[in-house]
Amino acid sequence: MSSAQSRLNQLSSHVAGKAALTAKHPDDIVVTCALRTAITKGGKGGFKDTPAQDLLLGAFKALIERSGIDPGLVEDIAVGTVLAPGAGATEFRAAALAAGFPADVGVKGLNRQCSSGLQAVVDIANAIRGGMIEVGVGAGVESMSQGYGPGAVSELSDLVKAHKEAANCRVPMGVLSEKMAEDRNVSRPAQDAFAAKSYQKAVKAQAAGLFDQEIVPLTVKWTDPKTEEEKTITVSRDDGVRDGVTAESLSKLRPAFAKDGSIHGGNASQVSDGAAAVLLMKRSTAERLGQPIMGKYVAASIVGVPPLLMGIGPWKAIPVALGKAGIGKDDVDIYEINEAFASQCVWCINELGLDESKINPKGGAIAFGHPLGCTGARQISTLLYELKRTGGKVGVTSMCVGTGMGMAAVWVAE
Amino acid sequence: MLEFRTQGFNGYSIKYSPFFDSRIAVASSANFGLVGNGRLYILGLTANGIVTEKWFDTQDSLFDTAWSESHENQILTASGDGSIKLFDISLDQFPIQSWSEHGREVFSVHWNLVGKDTFLSSSWDGTVRIWNPTRQQSLTTLPTHSCTYSAQFSPHSASLVSAVSSDSYLRLFDLRTPASASNHLVLAIPIHSPPRASPGVPPAAGVPPSEALTHDWNKYRDSVVACAGVDRVIRTFDIRRGASGGPVAVLPGHDYAVRRLTWSPHLSDVLLSASYDMTCRVWTDGSAIGVGNKLPDPLAFGGGRELGRMGVHTEFATGVDWCLFGAEGWCASCGWDERVLIWDVRAVMAS
Repeated sequence: MSSAQSRLNQLSSHVAGKAALTAKHPDDIVVTCALRTAITKGGKGGFKDTPAQDLLLGAFKALIERSGIDPGLVEDIAVGTVLAPGAGATEFRAAALAAGFPADVGVKGLNRQCSSGLQAVVDIANAIRGGMIEVGVGAGVESMSQGYGPGAVSELSDLVKAHKEAANCRVPMGVLSEKMAEDRNVSRPAQDAFAAKSYQKAVKAQAAGLFDQEIVPLTVKWTDPKTEEEKTITVSRDDGVRDGVTAESLSKLRPAFAKDGSIHGGNASQVSDGAAAVLLMKRSTAERLGQPIMGKYVAASIVGVPPLLMGIGPWKAIPVALGKAGIGKDDVDIYEINEAFASQCVWCINELGLDESKINPKGGAIAFGHPLGCTGARQISTLLYELKRTGGKVGVTSMCVGTGMGMAAVWVAE
Repeated sequence: MLEFRTQGFNGYSIKYSPFFDSRIAVASSANFGLVGNGRLYILGLTANGIVTEKWFDTQDSLFDTAWSESHENQILTASGDGSIKLFDISLDQFPIQSWSEHGREVFSVHWNLVGKDTFLSSSWDGTVRIWNPTRQQSLTTLPTHSCTYSAQFSPHSASLVSAVSSDSYLRLFDLRTPASASNHLVLAIPIHSPPRASPGVPPAAGVPPSEALTHDWNKYRDSVVACAGVDRVIRTFDIRRGASGGPVAVLPGHDYAVRRLTWSPHLSDVLLSASYDMTCRVWTDGSAIGVGNKLPDPLAFGGGRELGRMGVHTEFATGVDWCLFGAEGWCASCGWDERVLIWDVRAVMAS
């Protein structure tokens, strides 16, 4: 590099954020291990008979084994979940103990709807940055097979219901997304094309073995629905991924929420089971412990949007997170934006003017599922492994959040 | 407001003479300092406006300048080729001394205000060097292991040296300490550390580290240093609090990186900044009684606030300096718009 070029790089780092963003500092919050279980179809898939706590136990055990960390050095664990009663506080503490974390290690469950997994990881990153802990685990888990049902959404009191916007918090996701797709002019062909692409990308990624690094195989009990026979199986593949899906084939499916609607089972996220976990610490700690650094956490954002426009969350949250990180949308190499519904995802991408080739390069929740509390933590392993493989640097994970919120986080792979 | 055009050269640093109220030096570079020559302007303030008393052309870009504290005609320059040159403005064309020890761009030079017989330089090669103008070789090398944009002697002690660098640390070296493996390093303060929580004040969120580009010692309070850089925020530190004490004041407001900071020679709480956002802003750090009770920005801390801004520059504002003489408030700024502006901060302060 000529001296003029290196001088230019140095000076431009003062104004453009990306060079500064990728610089390494001893107090960066880094990820040294990120993994997940396979994600399987709710009620039918490999984990249909596995409780959430068992999924979490499996993810924790794998995390300890793969990272080689002394479990006693972990000071706190946060687990995001949506459907477990009491945010799973009791069962997750028990699962951590069973996985080999000593009693000294704190555990909490938390629920911020579909972003619970990301919230858990960000909470741990902030606790490390704030000096409360030195090493922590952020995780997410959901068994929609066992937890999904009418009890998932609580009743509202008369007093709360009297407020119009408050009452909207109970409108089912499918219904409000249908309305949003109509209001914001997201056509069915556009949704189907996006959904078909998600399937095709996932099929390709699965065939190429691109999920192999992040998925830990789990051996579980499984009852064959035909023979009622209980078997022991090892699950190591996302079983929701279907080959041969095209926009053409999706166009034949019947709308699920309204007769003349545009949303159907093929262009919305699947009901699924799965768990994911992320090990975080300061760079200085990682270097002291000899932990390999996968990437670093930079910044996160949480924003609110009207409950009925829940799906626009990423559109509002992503620019805020990018602003905190001091970069522009084109500085990002990969966006992992949760595909709750093709309609909302397509709208956010178009409205933000993002390059479609950067979005969910290995497919998304439409192809392999959206285990609610798990997704936010799952995206981190999917993102960091893909950034590393493609030589990319900066990534963003984001999702819309039920009752009208959006969350996003910026990551740098190393 | 007085104006002067440094035609063909983009300003990098501006300094009032400590001896004459009408003399200003500007270090500038062709092609924005990326490649090409540098030029040191010696400007005179006259009844007919700003005139060029003299200029010196150099082989490589100039990034900083410092007047000698012991000789009214001598002045230092920091150069892109790693050299430091001493010019005598009563002579023509060539420097009277040149030192080349730095391996990369020299980005700051500063004369010892107390000892007056030494000066220092800091460089992108990750070192600060201490020099005596009568010697060929440097006296001491202080490693920072990180691109060091700014270094200074304390205006209160001849042996206290401070430096800020791209690793987001403010380092203090005490030259009185015995030679050891620590290379005189006595304190390293993480500039990005959050302010200390106190009763009634919620703990502030941490921010990621970012390159520190400039700093300055308070002229009245001998333990207070202000730092700023790429994260756009100005922070003041009290070195008595040690490495983990956090900033005393946090002043957000600039829209881009802050390139230069300088405390007022007249008022203990007032400082001036120049930024890539093309503005120069005047601030109070909140330490004066009766100043600042509102916290408009959630990032702000310590009761300081912006008092006013000068937005006449049309490119990055890179240098700003206070006039030591006369009415308190006159200052000079330079920028990449090839302009030198002489103005009064009281004219831009919101009433």
